This record gives sequence, C-alpha cells and structure tokens, in this order.
Amino acid sequence: MSTTFRCGDHTALVTYLYDECERAERDAIGAHFAVCPACAAEMSALESTRIQLASWSPPDAELGFAITRAPARPPSWLSMSRWAWFAQPLPAWAQVAAAAAIFAAGLSLGIARGTMRPAPDAVAQDTRSGSQGARPDGATGAALGALEQRLRNEIAELRASAPMRSAAPAAAPAVEGQLLARVRALIDESERRQQLELALRTAQILRDFDSQRRVDLDQIQRSFGQFEGLTGAEVREQRQMLNYLMRVSQQAR
Amino acid sequence: MTWTDEDLVARSRGGDVESFNQLILRWERPIYALAYRVIGREEDARDICQETFLRAFRALPGFKGQAKFSSWLYRIALNLCRDWVRRQRRAPLVEVPQGVDALDLAAQGKPTESIEDLVSRRELSEAVAEAMALLPQEQRTAIILKEYHGMTFQEIAELQGCPLSTVKTRLYQGLTVLRRRLEKNGLAPAFGHVKNAPFSHEEAKRV
Repeated sequence: MSTTFRCGDHTALVTYLYDECERAERDAIGAHFAVCPACAAEMSALESTRIQLASWSPPDAELGFAITRAPARPPSWLSMSRWAWFAQPLPAWAQVAAAAAIFAAGLSLGIARGTMRPAPDAVAQDTRSGSQGARPDGATGAALGALEQRLRNEIAELRASAPMRSAAPAAAPAVEGQLLARVRALIDESERRQQLELALRTAQILRDFDSQRRVDLDQIQRSFGQFEGLTGAEVREQRQMLNYLMRVSQQAR
Repeated sequence: MTWTDEDLVARSRGGDVESFNQLILRWERPIYALAYRVIGREEDARDICQETFLRAFRALPGFKGQAKFSSWLYRIALNLCRDWVRRQRRAPLVEVPQGVDALDLAAQGKPTESIEDLVSRRELSEAVAEAMALLPQEQRTAIILKEYHGMTFQEIAELQGCPLSTVKTRLYQGLTVLRRRLEKNGLAPAFGHVKNAPFSHEEAKRV
C-alpha cells in the first residue's frame, strides 16, 4: 500500500470507507480530504449510503432446522425437520391408510354383529329384523311374554291338579316346592338373558363410540392440516405488517 | 463451555449429529439473511438455508478445514443462490389472460416477498431492497457480504473468485449506483457515522 493518495482513487476510498487500510494510508487520505472538498463529499456520501443500507433487514423467519437421522436407516436417509412429527400435516398416503383402516374396522364390526347372534331367541330375531331402536324393549317384552306364558301354563296345570291336591293333601307341599323351583329357574333364566343382552348392548355401544371417535380424530387431524396452512399465511401477513410498522416507527424516529 | 466452530466440525465428522445441529443453530440466521438479501424471497431463502446445511452435512467428510467453516457455508449458500437466480431467469413468464387487469390480479393474490412487489412502498428499507435488486449480481453480493456479514475484502475475493481490486471496484460502483437511486427516490442521504453495520463475522451473527 502506498502512503500517498491519488485524488479520485476509488479503490483507496473504499478501503478507507471500510477501514481496511494501513494507518499511513489512512492518514494520507484523511489529509487529502482536508484540502479536497470533492473527495471529502464523496466519502461523506458513501458513508451516508452505508447508513441507509443498514436499515434493510430480512423478515423474521421461523428457522430451527435440525438434522435428524433414524438410527436403523442407512446414512443416506437424512432429513431436515422444522416441526415435530405430530405437528406436521399427514401425508396423503397416511390419510388414505387411516381412512382404509376406519373402513375396515367398520366392516369387521358389521361382520362381527352379523355373526355374534347368541341363540335363535327373541334377541337374535330382533337383531335380524334390523329394528335397532325398538330392539331392547322388544327383547325384554318378548322374554317377559314367554315367562308369563310359561307361568300361565304352570298355573293352568296347577288348577287342573287342584282336585288331586284335595284328594291327596300330602302331595301338595311337594307340588308347591316344584312350582317354586320352576318359577325360580324361569326368573334366573330371564335374568341371565337380560344380563347377556346388557353385555351385548354395552359392547356394541363401546364399539360404536370407538369407531366414531376414530372418525372424529381423523377429521380433526385433517382440519388441523388445513388450519395450519391458513394460520401460516395469517402469521406471515401479520409478520409483514409488524415489519412494516417497525420500519415506519424507526423512520419516524 | 462454548465449543468453537472447529471443535463442533470435528465432533460432527466423528458422527455426532448434535454437534452439527449446534453449528446450524449458530449459523442459520446469517445464512438465511444472506440468501434473503441475495434472492429477495423469504420462502425460497428459507429453502436455500435448509439446503445449505443439508449439503454441508453430506459433504462434511470432504471438508478438511482448509477454509473457515463459515466461509465454506457461505460458499455453498451463494452457489445455491446463483443456481436459484439462473432458474428464475430460465422460468417462462406467465401471460395474463385477456380482459384481466394484471394489477387487480396482483392485488388479489397472496402477498409475496419479491422485491419487485415492494417497489411501491416508500419506506427506506424497501427503497434499499429495491435499489439493491437492480444492481448486477456480483456488485449486490459483494455489498451484502461486506455490509451485512462483515467480511474482509480478501474473504469476499475468495468467495467470488476474483482479485481484491475487483471486489473494491464492485463495492465502489455498487454503492455509487445505490446512492443515486436512493436520492432519486427522494430519500435524503443520512449523515453521520456508520454505527449499525456489522464489522466482523461475530457481529454478523446477530444480523
């Protein structure tokens, strides 16, 4: 570097501007400014341009990149993730897979319902008829009807055997005991059937609830995907507006 | 304890991904800022930033420390920016259908971060962005590296692959054109000493 300055030497002016010249050269240029208003004005203009340049800042961006590598995969399987896996929108194939899984679950449920008829009794008949809403009442009613019919038959038998009882009073306690036992058996059977019905209904409700929950979850996840796109755009707009306001306020100062 | 870039590079080369992620954390802002100022688009700048680190990670076994890690990153990022600019030049212009007002169409569209869209605004920052966008690529890059990343003439010359004197000429010509454009846009030159511009790499990290 020379210690003399040739008037109008632009490269030397730039070195001075960015303070990358040696002290001797710096002094020489500074001395020249004192006697050359043109060069001094030039330097002043370059400095003021630099101040203006400093006002240009890039918009805030969400970065946070990171290298993630699945341990079981070969090194070529590299990926950069900006969001956690659960915050990312589902890819199309995953959504299709989820839909297929829900459909399959529904299908198997339907098949299971068809095959889980316990016995050809009133309950099963009602299930087959498809009147799901009326089925529980109908089932209970039918069971009670059957019970009533049996009781009536028993009473009719008893009435028919009443003369025999008077003729043979010693046999009466035995017959009553038998009747009581049969009534108890009938009541037990009815209770068992009702319990079975209750268990079946509970299981069905649980399955319906579970499948509905999965459908809802899938819908929510899809909606999230859409919302994410929307909020991303909104956030960007807001950020631009903020940047704009910041610039305006900085300028006002 | 704070690891130096060299320490973290050595650990990354030894297979420690977390060390490389620390380098990303350290340098992603400057690289994003560089890409944004060179190409002028937020989304694409973010993509270039991400791609820069991905390429750096893949090329890490070949990085022997012959240059500073940051210079190496800047080189990768600038190459990606250059490719991006070339692709943009090749991209065909979309013709506006007949009977449609292009301005209306532009107003309806989503806001973009292209420098051209900011021309109408009169804020200083936008005016600077506009003026910078009109500079030749080499001058713009030289000014960006000097003003916003605090590089020395020598570092810029190495990155741009040109002599020192060319860097100085690019800076001088670029600054002169910028000054004229800003004055033409009615922006009075600001007088006083430069305080905001970073002067070193370390300061550039805060940009």
